[in-house]
Amino acid sequence: MWDELQFSLSLIVSGLSIGLMYSLIALGFVLVYKATDAINFAQGEFVMLAGFVAAVALGDKVPVLAAVAIAVAVMVVFSFALERVVLRPLLGRPIVAVIMATIGLGAILRGLPAITVGGQTRALSLPIGDTPFVFGPIFLPPIQVLGVVVTLAFLGIFSWFFLKSRMGIAMRAVADNQQVAMAMGINVERYFALAWAMAGIVSALGGVIWGSMLGVDTQLALVGLKVFPVVILGGLDSIVGAVVGGLIVGVVESLAAGYLDPYVGGGTKDFAPYVLMIVALMFKPYGLFGTHRIERV
Amino acid sequence: MLHRESGVFKTSYAADMALYPLPIARKAVALIIVLFAVVLPLSLDEYYLSVVNLVLIAIVGALGLNILVGYTGQISVGHAAFMSVGAYTAANLAVHLHLPFWLTLPAGGLMAALIGAIVGIPSLRIKGLYLAIATLASQLIIEWIINHTPAISGGAQASIQVPRPEFMGREIKTQGQLYFFLLFFAVLATLATLNLVRSRIGRAFVAIRDQDIAAEIIGINIFRYKLLSFAISSFYAGVCGVLYTYYFGIANYEAFQIGVSIDFLAMIIIGGLGSVLGTILGATFVTMLPIVLRLAMEPLGGLFFNAGQLSSIIASTRLILFGCLIILFLVVEPEGLNRLWRNIRNYFRVWPFSY
Amino acid sequence: MLKLKSWRTAAMAAGAVVLSASAAQAQDKEIVVGLQCDRTGPTQLVGTALCPGYHDYIDLVNSKGGIEGFKIRVIEIDNEYKVPPAMEAHERFKKEGAVLEGIYGTPQTAALSKKLDEDKILGTSPGFGTAAAADGKRYPYVFPIAASYWSQGAAAVQFAKKELGGSLKGKKIAYLFYDNPAGKEPLAVLEDLSRSEGFELRTFAVPAPGVEMAAQVLDITGRFRPDFVIAHLFGRSPSVSIKELKGKGYPLSKVISLVWGSSEADIQAAGGYEVAEGYHTMQFAGVGSDFQVIKDIDAMYKAQGKSPPKEQAISVYYNRGLVTAAVHLEAIRNAIKAKGGAKPTSEDVKKGMEAVKDFTLGGMVPPLQVTPEDHEGGGWVQVWTVKGGKLVKDGEWFQAYRDVIMKHLAAIN
Repeated sequence: MWDELQFSLSLIVSGLSIGLMYSLIALGFVLVYKATDAINFAQGEFVMLAGFVAAVALGDKVPVLAAVAIAVAVMVVFSFALERVVLRPLLGRPIVAVIMATIGLGAILRGLPAITVGGQTRALSLPIGDTPFVFGPIFLPPIQVLGVVVTLAFLGIFSWFFLKSRMGIAMRAVADNQQVAMAMGINVERYFALAWAMAGIVSALGGVIWGSMLGVDTQLALVGLKVFPVVILGGLDSIVGAVVGGLIVGVVESLAAGYLDPYVGGGTKDFAPYVLMIVALMFKPYGLFGTHRIERV
Repeated sequence: MLHRESGVFKTSYAADMALYPLPIARKAVALIIVLFAVVLPLSLDEYYLSVVNLVLIAIVGALGLNILVGYTGQISVGHAAFMSVGAYTAANLAVHLHLPFWLTLPAGGLMAALIGAIVGIPSLRIKGLYLAIATLASQLIIEWIINHTPAISGGAQASIQVPRPEFMGREIKTQGQLYFFLLFFAVLATLATLNLVRSRIGRAFVAIRDQDIAAEIIGINIFRYKLLSFAISSFYAGVCGVLYTYYFGIANYEAFQIGVSIDFLAMIIIGGLGSVLGTILGATFVTMLPIVLRLAMEPLGGLFFNAGQLSSIIASTRLILFGCLIILFLVVEPEGLNRLWRNIRNYFRVWPFSY
Repeated sequence: MLKLKSWRTAAMAAGAVVLSASAAQAQDKEIVVGLQCDRTGPTQLVGTALCPGYHDYIDLVNSKGGIEGFKIRVIEIDNEYKVPPAMEAHERFKKEGAVLEGIYGTPQTAALSKKLDEDKILGTSPGFGTAAAADGKRYPYVFPIAASYWSQGAAAVQFAKKELGGSLKGKKIAYLFYDNPAGKEPLAVLEDLSRSEGFELRTFAVPAPGVEMAAQVLDITGRFRPDFVIAHLFGRSPSVSIKELKGKGYPLSKVISLVWGSSEADIQAAGGYEVAEGYHTMQFAGVGSDFQVIKDIDAMYKAQGKSPPKEQAISVYYNRGLVTAAVHLEAIRNAIKAKGGAKPTSEDVKKGMEAVKDFTLGGMVPPLQVTPEDHEGGGWVQVWTVKGGKLVKDGEWFQAYRDVIMKHLAAIN
C-alpha cells in the first residue's frame, strides 16, 4: 500500500517537473501568438537550433555561460530576421498559410545541421552534475530542477511584464487590435520584433535545457509536438495557461504511463493528454485560460 | 487570338451546366486524356511509371483533403490516419474474407468516412487551430488503436500483406498495369470532386468556409454539412489508403503517420486551396520534388563528392529546398500553383492584346 | 537574366555529356548495388555512421581492383525511415540493374519482401527486419544475414541467465521496448522462454518518439524491481533510457540492450562512458578499430591525403556497415566464381549469398553460415560491456536457444 502511494507520488512529481519543461517550450509559442497572432509550428525546431548552437559552442570549449549567451543571441537575431523576412509578407493571410510557412521553416532548420556542422548527436553537458536529488521515493535529476526554476522565473517575469510594464501593456494592445494601437502611436512593427525576440530567448533556454536532457540532434525538434496539447489546453494566448497546461499534461502523461499502460500494452501516454484536451475544449473551446474570440458576422 | 468565350452560345440548360461548356476546353481535355491514356504509358519506362503511380495515389488523397480544408475551411492534420483506417479495413477484408478489390475499396472508404464523421463531431464547437490540434489528436489515437489491436493490425508486425488486385482473371502487377488501375481511380476522384463543388453541397461548404455564422442564419445546417465534409474527405483518404495498400502489396500503419498528414497539407497549400487543378498540381509537385531533386543532384554532385557524403548532402538539401519552396510559394504566390496557372491562362486569353 | 539562364543550361548539358560518356565506358565491368539508409529520419543516429562504413568498404575493395575484376558502384538513397521512399528506392535500384540491395528499417523490409520476390533481387536486413525471414524457403529473397530480433531476445535471456548465476527460476526480468512492430518482435520468444526458464517477465512499452520514459522507468525501478532489464530501443531512446535508469538508481550492470541501443553514439548522447559504466550491449559485428580492415581503410584515406572519417569513432554502427558490405561482396564473389568470371545477375547473387560461409573478416564478422534454408546465418551475437571508459569485449560469439527459435519459425510458416 505504502509502496503504491510512493509510486503515485513519484509519478506525480515526475509529471509536474516534466510538465514545466513542456511549459518552457510552450511559453515561446504563446508569446508569439499573444503578440502577433502568428502560429509557430516550428517551435520544436527553434529549440533544436538553440540546442545546436549551444552544443557546438560547448564542443569548442567555450565556457558554459558564454555558450548559453551565444545561443540566446543567435536565437534573438534569428527571430528578428524571421519576422522581417518571412512573417511580415504573410500578415493577413489565412491561418493555414502561416502554419505552412512555419512548417516549411522547420524543414529548413532540420536540414541545416547535417550540411553545416554535421548531423551526429551531440551531448550538451551542463556543469550541474548527474546525481539526482533524492527526497524519499522521489528522484529529481538536477537538470529538471534547473528547468523548473527557469520556467517559474519566466512565468514571474512575463506575468509582471504583461500586467505592469508599459511595454507589456503596449504589446497587449497591439495583439488586441493592431489598427487602433497604431492610431494610438504605438510602433506595431517594433513590438512584433520584440515579441519574437522574447520568444527567441525562451527558445534558447529551452534548447539548452532540453538539449542537455535528450542530447542534441535533429530529432530534438520532436519535442515541439508536445507544445500543442499544452497550449490548446491552457489557451493559445495565455502565459499562465501555458504553465498550467504544461503541468496538467505532464501529470496526465505520467499517470497514464504508470497506470493505464500496463493494462493496454503501452502508448496511452501519448494521446491521454489529447483526449483530455478534446474533452476540455468541448466545455471551454478556447482553452482553460484563453480569450474567447467574439465572432462577428 | 484565343478568344475562348466568343461565339459560344448555349441553347439548353444542359449545355449551360456542362462541366466543360467551351469547345476549346473540351478539346484540351480530350488531348490530355489521349496523352495520359496512350502516350504516357507507352513512352515511359518502369521506374518513371512508378513515380507517376505514386503521384496518382497522392492526387486522390489530396483531393479529399482539399474538400475539407480548401472548400470547407476546416483544418485537418489527421488525414493520414484515415488512410490507415481505409488501408487496414481493405486489407483485413481481402485477406480474411477474400473479397475482390472492387468491394474492399469502397468498404475501406466507407469505414474511413464513418471514422471521419466521428472525428468531425468536435468541429461544431471548436474552430481554427484548436480544431486542427483536435484532428492531430485523432491521428494519434487512431494510430494507437491500430497498433494495439491485433484483430485490426494482424499481429505484432502490424502489417498485412494483400494479394494483388485481379481484373478479368489477371493479376494487376506490373507498373504499367497498376498505372491504368490507379489512373481510373484518380480520374474518378477528380470528376467526383469537380461535380461536388459545383453542386448544392459544394456551395454549402464554401459558405461555411467564408462566413459560417451567416451561413447558419440563412438556413444551412452547418453541423450536418461540416460532418458531411469530414466524411467525404475521409472517404477519399480511405480510398487513397486502399490504393497505397494494393500498390505496395502491404498495409502498414507506419506508412501513414503525422509526417504524411503534413505532406498532404503541403500539397494542397502549394497547389492552391479550393481548386481541383491546384490540388493535382500540388500533389504532383510535392511527390516528385524529392525524386527530381535527387535525380538532378546525383550527376552534378558525383563530380564533387563521393557516394556517402553525397547521400547525406542530398538528404539535407531536400529538406532545405522543400522548406524554402514552401515559404517562397506562400510569400510570392499565396494562392499556389493554381493562381500561377490562371495568370498564364488569362494572359493568353486576350493575347496579343494586354487586356 | 537570359544570359544567366543560357550559361546554366550550357553547363548542365556539358556536364551531362561528360558523365554519360564516362558512364558508358564503365558499365560492362561494373556491378551495381543499392543501399537504403536513414540519414534524416528518426534513426539518423545509426544511419549517419552505418552507411559511411558501407561506402568505405566498397571504396577499399574498388581501390584494390574490385571483386574479380569488377568494380562496384553503390547507389544510396535516403528513405527517411518511411515506406514510400523505400519502395521508390527499390524501383530505382531495379532500373539501374542492382544485383542486391541493403534495406534499412523493419517496416521497409516487411513492405518490400513481396516486391523482392517478384523482382528477384535479394534484400538484406542485418539485425532488424522480420525474424520470420530467417526461413529461406518462405522468404527466398530476404536475407537477415545477422541475428534477428528473436535471436537477439533469446541471447539476451541467455546472457541474463549467465549473469544471474546460471538459473532464472523465480527471477524477474523487465523488457523495456519501443512500441512499434520492431520493438514487439522479440515478445513471442521472450514469453516462451519465461515459461520454460521459470522467470517472471513484464513488458514496458515506450511510445514513439521514445524520448521520454520517466514513468516506465519509475515503474521498473520503483515497483517491479527486476533482477535484469532487457532493453530494445533505437534512435534517441537508448541514450534516454541509460540516463533515466541511472537517474533512478538502477545499476546499469543489470541492463542489456539489443543491437540498436548499443553504440558509442548512444553512450555519448547519454552523457559519456562514466554515466554508462557497466552497461551491457549486444553486437552482431566487431567493435572498435583493432581490425585489419580498418587499418586498411585508414591507409586508403591516408594515401588520398585525408584523415580517416570521424564516423569510425562510432565503431559499432560503422563496423556494421563494413560487415554488411563485406557479406554483400562475398555473395557477389561467389556468384561471379560460379559463373566462371562473367557478370552475375541478381538471381546468381542470391545463390551466391546462400553459399556464404567461413567468412570472418579478421574476427569482425561472426561465423556466419547462410544456407538456402537459413537466411539468418546462425544468429550469432557478442556482448560488449562499458568498463573503465570504453567498450570491452565480454565473451565470445554465441548463439542462444536455437531450438526455440526454430520452433517459432516452423510455427509461423
